[in-house]
Amino acid sequence: MSLFYTTAVLLVSTLLYSLPAAAHTPLFDCFDNGDGTITCEGGFSDGASATGVVIRIMDSQGKVMEQGELDAAGSITMKKPTAEFSVTFTAGTEHSITVLGDDII
Amino acid sequence: MRFKFSDVLLGVTLGCTSLAASAHFIVMYTPQTALLRASDVPFTMVFTHAFAGGPTMALEKPQRFYYSKKPAPGESSNEVDLMQYLEAVQWQTEDTHVSAWKANIPRSEMRSLGDYQVVLEPTPYLEAGEGLYIQQFTKVMVNVGGVPGNWAETLGLPAEIEALNKPYANWTGAVFRGIVLSDGVPVPYTQVEVEYLNHPLDLENNKFQAEAFINPPHPAFGAMVILTNELGEFSFVMPKAGWWGFAALTVGPETEYNGMPLSQDAILWVQATDFPK
Repeated sequence: MSLFYTTAVLLVSTLLYSLPAAAHTPLFDCFDNGDGTITCEGGFSDGASATGVVIRIMDSQGKVMEQGELDAAGSITMKKPTAEFSVTFTAGTEHSITVLGDDII
Repeated sequence: MRFKFSDVLLGVTLGCTSLAASAHFIVMYTPQTALLRASDVPFTMVFTHAFAGGPTMALEKPQRFYYSKKPAPGESSNEVDLMQYLEAVQWQTEDTHVSAWKANIPRSEMRSLGDYQVVLEPTPYLEAGEGLYIQQFTKVMVNVGGVPGNWAETLGLPAEIEALNKPYANWTGAVFRGIVLSDGVPVPYTQVEVEYLNHPLDLENNKFQAEAFINPPHPAFGAMVILTNELGEFSFVMPKAGWWGFAALTVGPETEYNGMPLSQDAILWVQATDFPK
């Protein structure tokens, strides 16, 4: 029992320790599809999946106009706003990237 | 991994026979392999002697030209045919011109983040002077946006160099490592030629510039030769920024074409980048 407990604590500690130690950097870009939509793609520098990462389109005041999650391919297609906007990839508090609408080509 | 004596003997034999076609390189050039954002990606493909900038040979229309890309983490790579983008050009040499190829891959084809293994499978070239055909399976890897993909995957080519470092992310002075494969099997103790692309490409006039980047102190510094180890691995420190070509000669399984000897070679181009000051 004692050995099991020690092993379990060690395993959990290792897992917890490994999470912040993963030195991955978020990566994100968007493309104008030319049909009134944009496609955004995200990922991480270590190849980890970005599936489920929340993508938000915001207006110039920071108000969320539309949001969704990256799919299994790390991609999402959304309607392109006609007014000034930006798109933000948010994976936890440390991992946030914003692409300005004017930079989406 | 263990090898039989016969495997080792085969590797040594192949290494020796590869001398015949030495210093030939298909140059598959693109200005930048580590792209911050998606853009059109231009390629120029010339069959030449990379360090010397010539003699340059005719490159017939390739049998295949494509890229391999992983659509999502954990998924198998897909191939995308790029033959439609090939454009025949005449490459100027000192006294004549020979056929070569350009391809401007549009941004729409290489838009997604990740690795693109771009592959040229050429039509065998008859080297009449040496009485053999040469077929060099050539790879260049391009990355868009920094998301890694399939750079470490092998593609099942008859002759192939498996990268052990990302070919698009190497500082000058970095050790580049790879494995020479024949039909997917490591080739021990075989020769790998290493050449620096020593003459800048003049893409406007389709020729190599006459002035070289460096002047070697001895011929052995031009087409350098290293050997793979018992596991088929090699390593090389790239001392200067630019393009370094690695060629494993006569390693593919097919040894005859049109009733003549065939050398199936594996080529991988690696771009070295100076550390910012």
